[in-house]
Amino acid sequence: MSNQPKMKSERLDLPRITTGIPGLDEMVEGGFPFPSVILLSGTAGTGKTTFALKYLCEGVLKGEKGLYFTTLSEPTQWMLRYASQFDFLDQDYFGEDIIYEDLGSLLMHPDSDEILSRIEEKIAEVMPQRIVIDPITVVGGMLKDGYRSFLFDLTTRLKNWNATTVVTGEVRPDELYPPEISYAVDGIVLLILSEEAGARRKYLEVLKMRGTNHITGRQSIDITRTDGIVVLKARF
Amino acid sequence: MNERDVQLMSSLIDAIGEKTNRGMVLIDAPYTQFVRINLVLLKGLLEEKGNGGVFISVDRPHQYMVHLMRMHQIELDNITFIDVISRFSGNQKKGQAKVDFFDGPFHIDSLPLAFDDRTDCNTPGLLELDECGFLMIDNISALQIYNRNPAVELFINNFVMVAKTRANVLIPMVIDRQRNQSLYSSAQRLSDLEIKVSHDLSCVTQSSENPSPRQVSEMNFSKEVVN
Repeated sequence: MSNQPKMKSERLDLPRITTGIPGLDEMVEGGFPFPSVILLSGTAGTGKTTFALKYLCEGVLKGEKGLYFTTLSEPTQWMLRYASQFDFLDQDYFGEDIIYEDLGSLLMHPDSDEILSRIEEKIAEVMPQRIVIDPITVVGGMLKDGYRSFLFDLTTRLKNWNATTVVTGEVRPDELYPPEISYAVDGIVLLILSEEAGARRKYLEVLKMRGTNHITGRQSIDITRTDGIVVLKARF
Repeated sequence: MNERDVQLMSSLIDAIGEKTNRGMVLIDAPYTQFVRINLVLLKGLLEEKGNGGVFISVDRPHQYMVHLMRMHQIELDNITFIDVISRFSGNQKKGQAKVDFFDGPFHIDSLPLAFDDRTDCNTPGLLELDECGFLMIDNISALQIYNRNPAVELFINNFVMVAKTRANVLIPMVIDRQRNQSLYSSAQRLSDLEIKVSHDLSCVTQSSENPSPRQVSEMNFSKEVVN
């Protein structure tokens, strides 16, 4: 009968998409689940935007469309000015393969329904396989009271589109991740800046990845011009 | 819909061909692109070929496809949705389109029967097959999340049989062959035409592996063949 429990050998592996971050896919059974919503959390300067851009560029190489929502009111050319320092980023990707959408103007007088509608309209227009919202925590600062319900609506809707979304969250040095959104996402990846023996070291940790037997614990990372973020010491 | 999508739509409709108005068309496409393929197929079948049809959603609520179609200005007058996932998730909100709700995606043994009942010519006002030119499922692979593989394979056989005998319509079925070889092979045995879409969606080719129309076996709801 069709409603009998499925045997382990019959289990269909979750569809996954590669992240483009060298060393990370091996930690998460080949990539992020597709579709899903992943929180990328870290303090300032840990490489969240670099990670997000590499993730979108990886999609372009695979014939997938990317949609990058910024909440910072930052013009495309300003973002590209810095991002162009990375070898993996081809500026020609922007406009056709990666669409850059500024949500900043909506946040001046924030209305959660309006923000959700704009996001969904753009997703329906572009039909991306990869979405980035960078950073989501700015919306929290603007919405205040309705932030939790906004996040719940946002993640629920994002999961129904045919895409894997990376939302970045900026935290204070004493925080691991923004708690308001952590319960609603399918995965949490931490980028950590740690001061050890007078030096600052960077790490990546996969804290949560639903449906995935992932490698746990902090892994050293480096940020290079060639590849962006690289996981150095994953114990595979 | 941009130029690339319009080109993809034309290529798919060309590959299906003028003469193919009935039978199963198996489309091998990357799983990350299923929504885009479904959307351009719907536009092509509804507007280019001028057919009405039925779209069965088992992967995500029908409102999402309705939203997409509205956004891309694809007409909704001649399409009926059968939503198999919303009742499962407790959501029966209608998406401003003709829609009927069936039981959840783990009830696939009953789905062909339910469809058969709804299309009964003695029961007016349900699915009007006279105006139906195609019958599509958004993502047949999604059924494997809730059902054992033999049940899904049996479902495909029964579904295609009901569609062919009741409506004699075009049945486009999109599966990622590389990801789901077993399901693809099952569907391949029933297909009348195979089409491959390249990974970057730039190339649509008709496969020559399966040139002759296939026969489905008798509809069988009582047993599930387990090898």
